[in-house]
Amino acid sequence: MSSSDSGRVRAVLDYAAARMLDATVLERIGIAIASTTLALLIGLIIVAAAGHNPIRFANQLVVGSFGSERAIARTLRYSTIFVLAGIAVAIAFRAGVFNIGVQGQFIVGGIATVISIIWLAPLLPDGMIGGAVLILVGTLAAVISGGLYAALPGVLKAYGGANEIITTIMLNFIAIGFVGWLVSSPFNDPESTATRTERLPDNVSLPSIVFEDPNLSIVGLIVTIAVVAFVAIVMTRTSFGYDMVTSGYQQSAAKYSGVDAKRMIVSTMTFSGIVAGLAGAVFVIMIQGYYTDPSGVGNYGFDAIAISLLAANNPIGVIPAGILFGGLESASSHIQINSNVPVQLIDGVVGLVVLFVAVPELFRMIARRTGLGGDDR
Amino acid sequence: MSVADYTTQKRVQIGGLAVVALIVLGALLTVWFDVALDRLFTGGYVNRSLQMATPIALAAVGGLYAEKSGVFNIGLEGFMIFGAFTSAATMYLLGGTSPSQGHIWLAIVVAVIVTMLFAALFAVLLIRYKADQIVAGLAVWFIGLGFAPFLAAILWGSRSSPGLASINYLAVPNLEEIPWFGSALFTQSPLVLLTVLIVLVSWVLLYRTRYGYWIQAAGENPEALDTAGIDVNRVRYAAVIFSGAMAGLGGAVLLAHAGNFVGTGETMVDGRGWIGIVAYLFGNYNPIGAAAAALLFGGLDMLNYQLQMVGIEVSARLVNLFPYIAVIVVLTAWGKTRVPSSVGEPYESEE
Repeated sequence: MSSSDSGRVRAVLDYAAARMLDATVLERIGIAIASTTLALLIGLIIVAAAGHNPIRFANQLVVGSFGSERAIARTLRYSTIFVLAGIAVAIAFRAGVFNIGVQGQFIVGGIATVISIIWLAPLLPDGMIGGAVLILVGTLAAVISGGLYAALPGVLKAYGGANEIITTIMLNFIAIGFVGWLVSSPFNDPESTATRTERLPDNVSLPSIVFEDPNLSIVGLIVTIAVVAFVAIVMTRTSFGYDMVTSGYQQSAAKYSGVDAKRMIVSTMTFSGIVAGLAGAVFVIMIQGYYTDPSGVGNYGFDAIAISLLAANNPIGVIPAGILFGGLESASSHIQINSNVPVQLIDGVVGLVVLFVAVPELFRMIARRTGLGGDDR
Repeated sequence: MSVADYTTQKRVQIGGLAVVALIVLGALLTVWFDVALDRLFTGGYVNRSLQMATPIALAAVGGLYAEKSGVFNIGLEGFMIFGAFTSAATMYLLGGTSPSQGHIWLAIVVAVIVTMLFAALFAVLLIRYKADQIVAGLAVWFIGLGFAPFLAAILWGSRSSPGLASINYLAVPNLEEIPWFGSALFTQSPLVLLTVLIVLVSWVLLYRTRYGYWIQAAGENPEALDTAGIDVNRVRYAAVIFSGAMAGLGGAVLLAHAGNFVGTGETMVDGRGWIGIVAYLFGNYNPIGAAAAALLFGGLDMLNYQLQMVGIEVSARLVNLFPYIAVIVVLTAWGKTRVPSSVGEPYESEE
């Protein structure tokens, strides 16, 4: 082998190394797809074992999520919330902080929106301008309260050493209980038989252009995409984002370059909670229009963990993962009406997705055994 | 006393502070609401607190074994949900809506076996396939939250079961009439007594037997254990499977006391598995300390009922938040527990 050849070999090796870096992205996508497929397959087996027709169930999954314009609008409606909540989780996970409390921050943000709007509505004119002001104020209230509710476990972790996984889970239970009390006692709508707050005034609604669905607004979609873009830019193009990610992955390097690790934890959690609160505001203004007992509002914040993991905590990756979960949620509301398969199955499938995402090694091994995709899968 | 050997000075101080705080709180209640303390802290209260504490204590003992051996089992909550559901389902399949006491005991055994199998699967994913322990543990929770209500819906047509049966108390005639502790000691659920036994045996096993030292070494210094010719991963498998079994037993005990399965919201387990994790952190990985912490949380849990009994009108939903708030306070005041040094790292032998 001549020396010029060894130069060529070197170049090939460099090329291969560059490809390998790409391969980790490919690998993650492969793992995400494999995890989801495997979880869905197990779901179908369980459906069959429970005595239902799995093919019919699979068909209903597709029809219920993307089968009609109504289904697509419903999918996008859920996806909006899932993507926002997923981004909130991803921000923290990227920085190596486990914010399991997105559900709680989402609930606190939502109720803050409802309360602030109900309080302020009598002071403002009825028309569109009044509505716009109320929406802005309500969103601001959600963002602030969500941020503060997340800052608390951040402070407790940074300065008290309290494990944020457990404190955020406890704060979820506290949010569910406390907001449940708020909607059943001080803020209960006396004219409603259900346990819920008053409805938001009619002028507090987002315009439904493009889609006829009253619970989906193009404004909600635009806000979501803007948030994704904003977070992606903050994470990859700003020094704050750089410090955040390095303190997640290279703690000593971050410390060496002068990052205050404790403050970083608090600001990361706050940032994450702000987005979770925003998701709560969009949920209230675009979809619900009032607040009910939070033990029944849906596990958006928990599913968001699965979404973020599926997306490898990448803000852009959260979009397809969020749409997948939006589709599942949309299909489950279709299945609830059109089939007698209990929809809780979907929640179980989500759990399986998370489990499989946790064991990439398993899929690598399967890939190696079967020869599918080889090492770069 | 040997327990004191394992209890650091500071923990005693904090425990003392907690007791003082409780007494001050009690005194304030007496002044504000004109409630006599002895009406608030009755023997029945102790009894109910012990019952509330048992599922938490069992999960905590299991969790601390896993973590001592070097594996953070964050899936305790999920295993408790499996345990509660499996025992309810077994009870129902055996005896319909009026199962006998024998059926209840059998259901508890089945629940433990089933959760052990799940835990074995979980252990394989963690140890053999090096799954991320945090993420996989969360997954166990989510799977429990999803599949238990799903299976309940298949079995009973609703996310919760109909009323089944709860376990009979053991009562020792005459002795139960001793004031204060009589009813707590002599009219008690046999499952509380079983838990006390398990806690004591776990303590002895962990600190006084060769196997206990292996478990501790697997978490602290796996290399040394390996050098001594003990298979580290085998010790870890055993510890993780034991932790799943204990959490499953905790769920089954919760069900045997409640008498029916509730699968709505966060299910009837309602965070007790997570509180179990805090209980063993607070108890400094000592089974007896963990059980004492569980008793603190159990007592807070039953405060709601107690306040109602003495006629203090506070929303039940708010009083129910006490244990969760207590967990946060405990974690913050005592967050820096000394975690076994090799927790979370898969161990690979140098063969």
